[in-house]
Amino acid sequence: MKENEYIDKVLACLPRATPLRAQIALELRGHIAERMSQGQSLEEAVAQLGDPATLAGSYLSAVPLEPAPYLPRIAAKLVDMGAVIAIGSLFVLIAWLVLPEEMLPFAAGAAVVACGLGFLVYTITAEHRKGQTIGKRLAGLQVVTESGTPISLGQSIVRQLPMALQILWIDAFFALFTDRRQRAFEMLSKTRVVSASAQSASEAAQGTMGLGSLGSY
Amino acid sequence: MKTDNRTEDRKSIGRELRRGSLELIVLHLISSGEAYGYEIVTRLTTETNGSLEVTDGTLYPVLYRLERAGFVAVRWETPERGVPRKYYRLTEAGQLELRALEQEWTTFAGAMARLLRTKGKSS
Repeated sequence: MKENEYIDKVLACLPRATPLRAQIALELRGHIAERMSQGQSLEEAVAQLGDPATLAGSYLSAVPLEPAPYLPRIAAKLVDMGAVIAIGSLFVLIAWLVLPEEMLPFAAGAAVVACGLGFLVYTITAEHRKGQTIGKRLAGLQVVTESGTPISLGQSIVRQLPMALQILWIDAFFALFTDRRQRAFEMLSKTRVVSASAQSASEAAQGTMGLGSLGSY
Repeated sequence: MKTDNRTEDRKSIGRELRRGSLELIVLHLISSGEAYGYEIVTRLTTETNGSLEVTDGTLYPVLYRLERAGFVAVRWETPERGVPRKYYRLTEAGQLELRALEQEWTTFAGAMARLLRTKGKSS
């Protein structure tokens, strides 16, 4: 295993909004280099740090997960839906301009289906890969597992099942009564939506430290 | 087999005690002056002849917790060659926390010592 491979594995278990994420990576790199300069092999240095997922979990245990408030969650969903509706409307407009009139109902139906599917696929992919959709990013929210690590593709799919099954409102109703404001399918997928704003602020603050080499992380 | 289990239990008590006192250990080690991660690990091993040795993977999350809690302040130093080092030093809040933890530990250790000096009812 290369040094970067190990650090990448640790980072893969830390959500992007984890405070001081870049500093963690840099410090681990420095530590490995330090051990190697003392004559240890990379394997020995990495063994001292332990399993990457466990190490990331230990870091995350120091970051309290604050359940996302209701209003930003609703706002985030509206932004995402608004973006999809805007894109769909654009397609319908283009269809109206270029297609013959008899084809318009078909084009509108196709646009609705494409938008619905696109919304689903986008949400699943964005939450799995980045931990947030555009709406959640603007609202300062982050999707993580119950222990704070990034969610898997499977978890992301389960989270969105209520949308696919058209039971989103019933599912969302659960968030009113659960401690961590989780929807039913969030509990099922062991995921949560948390506030990322405080975490991002810490991350932004490190930009003032003049550590150019942190940028790569 | 039973002896193996008991040895394992004793090791586990040691692990739990170490885990419970890690913050105190780290705060104490940097109370004499700023230090970076690797330095803290090696200092801990040397000053305790290896009996309080912790893995690097245990130490760094503790430093991270202390930093987030405001008990330590950090400073990065970038050498001309090599990787930047992150130096930790105690803040005022950290000094207060250290004193509180020392007090707690002394009370606990004293009580345990007194208890173990007395004869149990069964003996």
